[in-house]
Amino acid sequence: MTSLEPAAKWFQSHEWEAFEFQREVWRAYLNGESGLIHAATGTGKTLAAWWGPLLEQIGDAEQSRGALPLRVLWLTPLRALAGDTANALRLPVGDLHLPWTIETRTGDTPSSARARQTRRLPTALVTTPESLSLLLSRDNAAAQFNSLRLVVVDEWHELMGTKRGVLTQLALSRLRGICPRLRTWGLSATIGNLDEATRALLGRRSLTGSRVVRGAEPKTTVVDALIPEVIERFPWAGHLGTQMVRQVAEAIDEGQTSIVFTNTRSQTEIWYQALLAHRPDWAGSIALHHGSLDRKTRDWVEEGLRNATLRCVVATSSLDLGVDFSPVDRVLQIGSPKGIARLLQRAGRSGHQPGAASRVTCVPTHTLELIEVAAARDAMNAGVIESRYPVTRALDVLAQHVVTIAVGEGFRPVELLAEVRSTDAYAELPEDEWQWVLDFVSNGGESLKAYPEYSKVTVDETGRWHVQDRTIARRHRSSIGTIVSDAHIVVQYLRGRRLGSVEESFIARLTPGDRFVFSGIPLEFVRVRDMVAWVRRSSGGKGLIPRWMGSRLPLSGELAASIREKLGEAAKGEYNDPEMLALRPILEVQAKWSRIPSPDEFLIERVKTREGYHLFFYPFEGRLVHEGLAALFAWRIARLAPISFSMSSNDYGFELLSPDEASLDEALAAGLLDAENLVDDIPASLNATEMARRQFREIARVAGLVFPGYPRSGKTARQLQASSGLFFDVFSRYDPANMLLSQAHREVLERQLERTRLGHTLLRLSKVKVVVRDPKRTPPLAFPLLIDRTREKISSEKLVDRVKRMQRALERAAGKSA
Amino acid sequence: MNESDGDLEIAIRGERIALLPERAMLWIKHRTLLIADPHFGKAATFRAGGIPVPGGTTGNTITRINSLVSRTSATRLVFLGDLLHAKEGRSTGLFDEIATWRTENAALEIILVRGNHDKRAGDPPGELNIECVDAPAVMLPFVLAHYPGSHPNGYVFAGHVHPGVRLYGSGGLRERLPCFVFGPDHAILPAFGDFTGFAPFDPDEGTDVYAVAGDAIIALGPRRRTPPAG
Repeated sequence: MTSLEPAAKWFQSHEWEAFEFQREVWRAYLNGESGLIHAATGTGKTLAAWWGPLLEQIGDAEQSRGALPLRVLWLTPLRALAGDTANALRLPVGDLHLPWTIETRTGDTPSSARARQTRRLPTALVTTPESLSLLLSRDNAAAQFNSLRLVVVDEWHELMGTKRGVLTQLALSRLRGICPRLRTWGLSATIGNLDEATRALLGRRSLTGSRVVRGAEPKTTVVDALIPEVIERFPWAGHLGTQMVRQVAEAIDEGQTSIVFTNTRSQTEIWYQALLAHRPDWAGSIALHHGSLDRKTRDWVEEGLRNATLRCVVATSSLDLGVDFSPVDRVLQIGSPKGIARLLQRAGRSGHQPGAASRVTCVPTHTLELIEVAAARDAMNAGVIESRYPVTRALDVLAQHVVTIAVGEGFRPVELLAEVRSTDAYAELPEDEWQWVLDFVSNGGESLKAYPEYSKVTVDETGRWHVQDRTIARRHRSSIGTIVSDAHIVVQYLRGRRLGSVEESFIARLTPGDRFVFSGIPLEFVRVRDMVAWVRRSSGGKGLIPRWMGSRLPLSGELAASIREKLGEAAKGEYNDPEMLALRPILEVQAKWSRIPSPDEFLIERVKTREGYHLFFYPFEGRLVHEGLAALFAWRIARLAPISFSMSSNDYGFELLSPDEASLDEALAAGLLDAENLVDDIPASLNATEMARRQFREIARVAGLVFPGYPRSGKTARQLQASSGLFFDVFSRYDPANMLLSQAHREVLERQLERTRLGHTLLRLSKVKVVVRDPKRTPPLAFPLLIDRTREKISSEKLVDRVKRMQRALERAAGKSA
Repeated sequence: MNESDGDLEIAIRGERIALLPERAMLWIKHRTLLIADPHFGKAATFRAGGIPVPGGTTGNTITRINSLVSRTSATRLVFLGDLLHAKEGRSTGLFDEIATWRTENAALEIILVRGNHDKRAGDPPGELNIECVDAPAVMLPFVLAHYPGSHPNGYVFAGHVHPGVRLYGSGGLRERLPCFVFGPDHAILPAFGDFTGFAPFDPDEGTDVYAVAGDAIIALGPRRRTPPAG
């Protein structure tokens, strides 16, 4: 048995003491086991995973001279974290003079280092799931990985609920195919379903056990809020924007070093500007950080946080993860916290000083968000935490993986299927879906005759499947991954450095001379050339703020349930928290004009405005469930008589808006809330919206139908560009059995609309009391829905009739302006 | 011509022009059918590049041309550029399919005004009997071209941009539809091909836009700038 002594000594030399959970992991690792370590950030998970292989090395150090071959692969979800992680790993290796090389490999790695790594990988490699897939697409993958002993998957909770998690599972299955005794350790924040997380990481047939280790106890966490000084009773004043900037600045002043978290990149730019405008003397001591900024800028900001030279950084989730910034003693959250785990994670970025608690102060951007703060605190105190659900049966990711292996060493279908089925994601992959994926990559689909010129993967005389065409191989490598984003354009000074990137669609709206703010700097747009937006510094003044596409995070089900309870208290006149007391005037208007729903009521409001007839529904179940319910309800009402609806949803409820009055009473009588017939009604309502068409965007990208341009791709590549929407239309018409289409529908149902939650919600709603109100004006709860302009539509009118209606509206508007 | 309820007749430079919901246009006096951007062989180009696009788009595009020609009794057919998508899409299968139709319509005069894709893809085979000319081709009072723009010799009919229009109605309703765009000195036709799609197009002030709404053409009148924000 290898001694743990060297680790204990090293900890002592740094005046630390090893935690018992760390010793447990080391013993388990040395014993050949795999597992998952869960704890809050900054509690020593990295060293728990890292010292196992180091102890193993010290145990047989006598035999080794010179740099060792690849032993450890360290996967990190953000390439920005790779450098910090590698530095943390180097510390003990340097102290102990071990003959280990530690390097990173990400999209940012210079080509010289890549070339060296292509010849020989370091002893420990820190990389991302995408870069690992790229390594697996090389024809010497087995030789490069056969000395591997350990894979560590960092921040597994971030990866596991996404298609990147599936990509990781598939890559792990290939590595286990190369090295059957490979050990895997996952590092995760504490989540609600650790068993599932462990199974997704280790697969269904782990030969190395599956131990779940709980890390050090979390610090105590304080959640509070900045309460707006004046709360207007009228809802249209509820939108706070950056009005809270003075109070935020005061909070920053109280601390030494602060992180101000926002929910979107645009919000980061907006709040950075607002803080600077409020405190011009802070120029140079505050900064901003988000994923679209140039790497160098981000490094500089992180360094400033680490050595406390910055007073405050405004950031997105780009600073959620990674090594600690110990000087940070204050964290603010702008806008809805969205979930309990997320709020805890952000709070955990503060309070690393001995004896300090973690504290997060929420700043509402809309007064109703104060409910969420009180609800999150209640849930946290009750020990409620969200689960993350792994993605399963994603055929797009599987198709990508199959081509990746075919580009590299090639495969025999029987062997590859066994590997694929060893993962949790594809453990129940049906034979026909596997066959379809093989057909898809070899002859394009089920009907051989329909795809005559097609060739991608070919079978050689020994029965091995390969990609022969080098152009196809190169294009596949350039599009490995599951992260879908619009084409990005680099923003760069005319003579000087790169600032970062923005979406092409934003730049397309600009004309030369337009001003916009990016990276906190006012810029003037000069021109676009070669995928670069050339800019010069603008002489002050306000400009546009770019908006980046990105999925809006929904409220978690756990937090939603807590919000219903808080409203229930308010309905009974109980106001106990500072946040609820502050909200009281608004909730009293809601009660007077309409009603505050209790947990055993389902509130529906009917309001008529200039825009048309509004129906507001408040299930308080989170935006995703509401989108599904909105489509379902609209479809069920439209079935009774021809009508067109536009729909908007938020975390509290949803709105159906129609030019003519919809008969709610008739619809309720006809079973609007029925939890029966969902199997038929949900897909039907879905077809009536464009949700599946939009979901296809990601699938088309992952499955390799649509690929991002790459440098020097030239005109031939441009001839192969088509939008995912066009693919969706062409498949729907000419190849309706295409399984990627059914996947799009399944994903909308299961991931986007959370079908299970939708069913539960309907069951709940069918049991509670329906309360219909007809307020004369828009009540406070409805207001955020009213101003939301991202809408779905559903219609039982003919297209021509709808267009004629719009045509008449145009004419009326013209008549007025003439 | 068998008129369809969905057709819409307008007058340009004193000539009667019918806009057809099949995304084509008829110059009535000369029985000349105008079609922009069919992009034949686009699906095949994708397949050759390893991207699986189902077959059938070519066949359907030909079927649509065929029924248009018989419904309008056209004697001449002009393609306003981008007949072929790319060199890689020039397959014998494609040309056989077109040739079969061509022999059944041997009397029809067919002209291709070359577009940017045709320059690289090359002209169609001679046996298809398609006269290929560079833009602009003058047929007074009109000028036939691929790229939109004005021309001193006449009113220009062009393609290239695959125009689409966004419509906004009361109650937050929205539609995206392919469209015809008529300006003071030139018009742009929607893309005809089955695997082409369309892109939002921001027309100049005062241009007339005609939306293709299923099986009908709907005049949207002169455009003003900017739809409602959001």
